[in-house]
Amino acid sequence: MTAAERVMAVFTGEKPDRPPFALTLSLYGARLINAPLASYYADPALYAQGQVRVAELVSPDIIFAPFALALEAEAYGAELRYHPDGPPMVRRHPFRAPRDAASLSPPAIDTCPGLAYLCESVRRLADHFCGSVPLAGVLTAPVDLPAMLMGLDGWLETLLFEPALAETVLAAATEHFAAMAGALAAAGAACIAIPLMLANPTLVTPEVISRSIVPPLAQAFARTPIPIILHHGGNPAMPFLPLVKDLPNVAGFVIGPGDSFAAARSIVGEEKLILGNLNGPVLNRLTPEQAGARAAAILADRRDDPHFVLASSSADVPLDTPLETLLAVRAAVEGHGGGR
Amino acid sequence: MTGEGTTLQKLVAEVLRRINDADRDGASRLVDQWAAVHGYGDAIAEILEPVLRTVGDRWEREAISLAQGFVAGKVAEDILNKALAAAPKGVFGEVKGPVVIGNIEDDYHSLGRGMVGTFLRAAGWAVIDMGNDVSPAEFVDRAVETGARVIGVSAMMFVTARGIRGVRDELDRRGLSGRIMLAVGGAVFKVRPELVAEVGGDGTAGSAMDAPVLFKSLWERSLDAGGEQ
Repeated sequence: MTAAERVMAVFTGEKPDRPPFALTLSLYGARLINAPLASYYADPALYAQGQVRVAELVSPDIIFAPFALALEAEAYGAELRYHPDGPPMVRRHPFRAPRDAASLSPPAIDTCPGLAYLCESVRRLADHFCGSVPLAGVLTAPVDLPAMLMGLDGWLETLLFEPALAETVLAAATEHFAAMAGALAAAGAACIAIPLMLANPTLVTPEVISRSIVPPLAQAFARTPIPIILHHGGNPAMPFLPLVKDLPNVAGFVIGPGDSFAAARSIVGEEKLILGNLNGPVLNRLTPEQAGARAAAILADRRDDPHFVLASSSADVPLDTPLETLLAVRAAVEGHGGGR
Repeated sequence: MTGEGTTLQKLVAEVLRRINDADRDGASRLVDQWAAVHGYGDAIAEILEPVLRTVGDRWEREAISLAQGFVAGKVAEDILNKALAAAPKGVFGEVKGPVVIGNIEDDYHSLGRGMVGTFLRAAGWAVIDMGNDVSPAEFVDRAVETGARVIGVSAMMFVTARGIRGVRDELDRRGLSGRIMLAVGGAVFKVRPELVAEVGGDGTAGSAMDAPVLFKSLWERSLDAGGEQ
């Protein structure tokens, strides 16, 4: 089976030759081709080269587009900071006060180097893999983009105390999301992974989520031409799954390293994909044996789940993770061939 | 239980309910109404403090959301501002501090730091908030200049948290460790508690609501260590 066939099998509930696995190795590609991160996150050819190397060496069943959400904020004037061992982050928000965002309007993708880079990276990967490996685009949720534009405190203040302004900002963020999702799909993405932050009751009350978060998400997701995978965004997934499980076009959920697959399955039902829960950012601290054992334990737990993908949870796998550790995860998956 | 005690308990419960509902104006209004009769000093001691204690307890038990903690901070800020504007100087007793807070170099996640500042002020501390992206030397310069015995440094991500080590090094280099205490905090310290020691922190707090207790203990440790600045 190709990776695409394997992923499609768990999507439809067919039996694959072995469980598919996906590690968030968007950052890691830079290490494999020894590329400076500032270039890697600006040059689509370099990014594609890094991911091709990821495929050659690790062979995950899903390849990720750049996990560089700050590039979306840059399109609105955010100043970015490039770290030596991580993706770019927002250094200065483009809006000093929430009211400044009242006239927010989505920029044209082609005129913004960061947005064009995200799309072109996917296009180059699609050209290379020709459908053999599914490509996951990565986008900021429309309800989270404003936090990158005015700071989390500014966005919370808007969301909680200025509902009319929040609605205006969300309408613009929804347009941005729909345009980007369409562009990534046109470039060849098979799905879009979205870390979801403010839909989580650990951050915002369920009432605010139901009133102000879920409706714009429903509008945005309904306009997405490809399936969506919702990611726990670093917070526990259990509190937010009941609130977002029925959003349109959502095909699956990445749960956190501390979450329970069984609990997640009982919430989202039998048909949706569930992905996770290797703790991606700490893989660098595990020996290959520990990583392999952890993967094997998850696979054993999910043996009877036809809609499961072993994946890394949380953020990108760190740059200093030994390749052997990643290969141990792959070996654990390959050891489960035909095990279902 | 006196009649006034029962009324106060009900009032505290109602303020908490409104904070839970993100009803900032409604919560502030209730405190204002009490203050109109009893004064803001009384309102802060009898209503705001127990409210914030309960919010802190709930936070510790992960029984409230970040947004509810944020609303509590905003209500506290509203009440303090009105109290300060209404009262003659010194009416709230001796001001503690000053203490210096800020986000370390390259860190721009100001939400937690802002809440720490609010809860410190609510507890009577004079707070010098240096904002985001503050270098170790700037932190120490400001503490020396103002006589602060505690510096509180915040970082959200691992990559920026490591920069806090520079504040410890700067304190060591100038012979100020022990006299100026280093409080560290931010989301990453909850996930990786061992980081407190790695960056040379003298202490941390589980939430912004716990910051006043931490700063008080660090201030006392500084005094115990003796030495003038």
